[in-house]
Amino acid sequence: MTFTDRLIRARYRLIPDHLLGEILSKRWVDNALPMLILILVVAVFGALIPGFFGQASLTNLARQWGEFGLIVLALTVVMAAGGIDLSVGSIFALGNIVALALIGLVELPVPVVMLLTVACGAAVGLVNGLLVGYLRLRAFLTTLVTLIIVRAAVDMLLLKYAVAIASAFPDSDLWYWFGEGSFLSLPVSVVVALVVALIVHLTLSRARLGWQVLAVGGSRRSAHNVGIPVRRVICLTYVTSGALAALSGFLFASRLGAAGADIGIGLEIAALTAAVLGGNSLGGGRGSAAKAIIGSVIVMILINSLVRLGVTSGGSSLLLGVVLLVAVAADMRWLKNRHKLLSKVYVSPTWADLPEAPPTTEASPYALNDRLRPVEAIGLGAIDGPEDVILDEDDHIYVGNRTGDIVRFLAPDYTRQEVFAHVGGRPLGMAFAPDGALLVCIGGMGLYRVGKDRQIEKLTDETNRSWFSVIDDSRLRLADDLDVAPDGRVYFSEATIRYDMHEWPVDCLESRGNGRIICYDPNTKSTRTVLKNLVFPNGICMTHDGQSFLFAETWACRISRYYFDGPKKGQVEAVIPDLPGFPDNINRASDGTYWLALVGMRTPAFDLALRMPGFRQRMAQRVAPDEWMFPNINTGCVLRFDETGKVLETFWDLGGESHPMVTSMREHKGHLYIGGISNNRVGKLKLDGVDPAWTGPQSYWGQA
Amino acid sequence: MISGLKRRVDTFFGRGEAAVTVPPLDGALRANSALDEAPLRLPLEGVDALAEVAGVVHASAGSVLYALEGDVWAERQRFDAPIAALSAYRDGLAVALNDGSIHLPDGSRLETGLHAITAMAVEGETLILANGSEHNTDWQRDLLQRGATGSVWRCDGGMTRIAAGLAWPSGLAVDAGGIVVAEGWRHRLVRLAGGQVLLSDLPAYPGRLSKAPGGWWLSAFAPRSQLVEFVLREPGYRQRMMAEVPMEYWVAPKLRSGHSFYESLQGGGVKQLGKLKPWAPTMSAGFCIRLDEQFQPTGSLQSRADGQTHGVTDALETQGRLHVAAKGDGLVAVLPQGEGA
Repeated sequence: MTFTDRLIRARYRLIPDHLLGEILSKRWVDNALPMLILILVVAVFGALIPGFFGQASLTNLARQWGEFGLIVLALTVVMAAGGIDLSVGSIFALGNIVALALIGLVELPVPVVMLLTVACGAAVGLVNGLLVGYLRLRAFLTTLVTLIIVRAAVDMLLLKYAVAIASAFPDSDLWYWFGEGSFLSLPVSVVVALVVALIVHLTLSRARLGWQVLAVGGSRRSAHNVGIPVRRVICLTYVTSGALAALSGFLFASRLGAAGADIGIGLEIAALTAAVLGGNSLGGGRGSAAKAIIGSVIVMILINSLVRLGVTSGGSSLLLGVVLLVAVAADMRWLKNRHKLLSKVYVSPTWADLPEAPPTTEASPYALNDRLRPVEAIGLGAIDGPEDVILDEDDHIYVGNRTGDIVRFLAPDYTRQEVFAHVGGRPLGMAFAPDGALLVCIGGMGLYRVGKDRQIEKLTDETNRSWFSVIDDSRLRLADDLDVAPDGRVYFSEATIRYDMHEWPVDCLESRGNGRIICYDPNTKSTRTVLKNLVFPNGICMTHDGQSFLFAETWACRISRYYFDGPKKGQVEAVIPDLPGFPDNINRASDGTYWLALVGMRTPAFDLALRMPGFRQRMAQRVAPDEWMFPNINTGCVLRFDETGKVLETFWDLGGESHPMVTSMREHKGHLYIGGISNNRVGKLKLDGVDPAWTGPQSYWGQA
Repeated sequence: MISGLKRRVDTFFGRGEAAVTVPPLDGALRANSALDEAPLRLPLEGVDALAEVAGVVHASAGSVLYALEGDVWAERQRFDAPIAALSAYRDGLAVALNDGSIHLPDGSRLETGLHAITAMAVEGETLILANGSEHNTDWQRDLLQRGATGSVWRCDGGMTRIAAGLAWPSGLAVDAGGIVVAEGWRHRLVRLAGGQVLLSDLPAYPGRLSKAPGGWWLSAFAPRSQLVEFVLREPGYRQRMMAEVPMEYWVAPKLRSGHSFYESLQGGGVKQLGKLKPWAPTMSAGFCIRLDEQFQPTGSLQSRADGQTHGVTDALETQGRLHVAAKGDGLVAVLPQGEGA
């Protein structure tokens, strides 16, 4: 290995490139940038302003934030449904003066004041909602008009009651508690805002109404088509928004007790900035309480800090406007380009070096021949992609196909076929359980059981989640092959946790240990991962000692043996470390040895590319998938090996004329049955000198 | 400096010069399998160049010159080096060999000192020679090294170089306006006088040009592919591949691909239900392009990924029949004249 190779290997071992794509594919990544901005803002102003982190400063900031946060939450709810509410500032002012009038002039009890204030805001919101939701007026113009009308109403109320309010001193401790008190050492307004945020969060993420809001925001037309009452949902968001804005006004009133003409002016712009900066999409469909909180904290700190730094009010408005502009632009670009970025960085090939490939010349056990030429075709043109083949005691052939059926070819001549069971997904590896039921690994679904009575039963589709995996690896994405231990435990391979069934070639390009082997215990009905970080684990076959199984790692071109019981429990031993091709399924042969299918052959140019991950990465980004360099999977072979890893014989079909691509083979009563994932036939080959009575089920479970 | 910067940015993002787009097979080059449907296919292992002398079609294969008698190839002459190019000349045949010598019809021998003769044409009474590269004799290596050291020579008693710095000149045509060269690695046809580009951005590497009634035949010996274009922009991989991988297994265009399982496949080339799809990406194909007098394509005869007439090195239209030499598959396909024109 050259020095450069070592460097490249070290770089790819140390830096987990694949995490970037996995993080980007997470939904919470939308919050990551706003969070960064928040940290930045705190750091900058914390350093600029002396006493920024002091008790008084923080309490003051927090109290204001409670009120502001409610407004931003109000806007978030409306924006999530694809609307906008510019009247929040005016409703805030209205809530303020109504609360003051009710407590100071009418002298109602505080809870009633609060209720009436909120109801007043909700009423204005209802007007908005009726106009925008039911009459379908433009949200922007409608709420702009409400902004002006409500503002005018507030001004008229001020003219009439301002003096009276100023001279009234409410006699209620509860009233002042709302404005100045604390709950669990947090300002009351903060507690209120947090409780509302929690409710909004739970509604948007867990409740039917919240989902409907997001659905309407995501696509109004589709929401309507699936039966969501779009108009009502939209109307409700405005009512909520009005109520929250008025609640915020109530808190403001109890804190300052002032009825000024400039209260709430420009608040809608600040709230809008906060909502967008937090990552709530202006277009709707994407929004959360967490985003509202992050955004409102940023804007709150910005505004307050600028005031404290002595920036004139014009300057701070200017800055707010600029921030809004940048946030809107960033929101749009991010929405548009996120999936492009993801598709560019998700594929992350790693350094992979294969041992030198053994030759396929005369002296080699892999020497070329045409022994697969005489293979007979069963169901030629009538079967689409039989990945695995298995035969039962009555000699019927079972194969999976591309359309999600398990097809049965009926003995003895196999000219008739029937759909044994329609399971959906992509049936891959198969094995018989002791009771004769067929266990199937289904790509995209998990491990299933099809009884003799054709009853389909899910055994498992999830396993324990790894602690440090970024993507959720608890679901099974690509269950591949399986085998059953003597005590009934099922060991099956999951080829990759990063890609779905139809994307398996991409995993080849990565050649990282993305796969694992999982054990399902039917006695406890539990599933757990036993081996991780395998390079596309594929075929699994129990050895005859009842304590271990052989497994193939396709992109690593090796066969290993894992001990799940006995003195060597937990150990992995290499059996064949250097295959000349890519191993697929392994199955038992009649003489105690094993059959192995090589799905394709290694090529020198691809082996070289495996040592140059950057080259593969760029290829994945720039070249169309159909044009990607690939190992040669148009030529494969079947070979037989023993437990020591000695290759005993090889069956080739040069040029792939009678049987292109072999993914599995099964010995049964002196014949070898061959499957291939992109084939249109099942192959049948007469074997010489083997036990003509041997069958797989007998070998596993004895005479039935 | 700006252009250097731009190149780096392009390389990083895979844009501009670094983009790996290949023009689609459309218009006159719309995909077809006319070459595979040729009514007459005459096997001749290693067939390379074609020429007509006195109404008889001659073909070179390795170091042997054959003549077509009826529908059978008859050996005419054996040379001590493989034949590089043929051209009808002064009622006879000029035969250029790989060792740089030219055998003239009068029996005399001309030493040119060139080692990568790819094509030969006649201008008036003088021979015009195209030399693919100064350093390389294998075209695949020259392509992967992004070679541009080819030249065009005139044999007028001595040897006069009339053009240099060409990227594998592999075809010559002489018309009233002068000499036209097919420049392989730049996928274009150029008129030497004035450097006018007549036809650019071909989807295949252009090779020999031969006269046809009312136009020309352009044989394109291998298709361009996205993967090769990409590899050409990856110097690190290219160098290691040339150093470590046997030549026949390179990721490079070929006259015939898919014979060995040690050749890498491309995603779309995986056989589905036992069939290789005709549209599968391929490193070899057959292209014979009909050009008009102005060297603009008017039609084409092709052999696609699943075809059996790959690696077209020469075409000759005479006596109502078009002969297409498919070196990759070792045969000459004969088509009635007018087809594809």
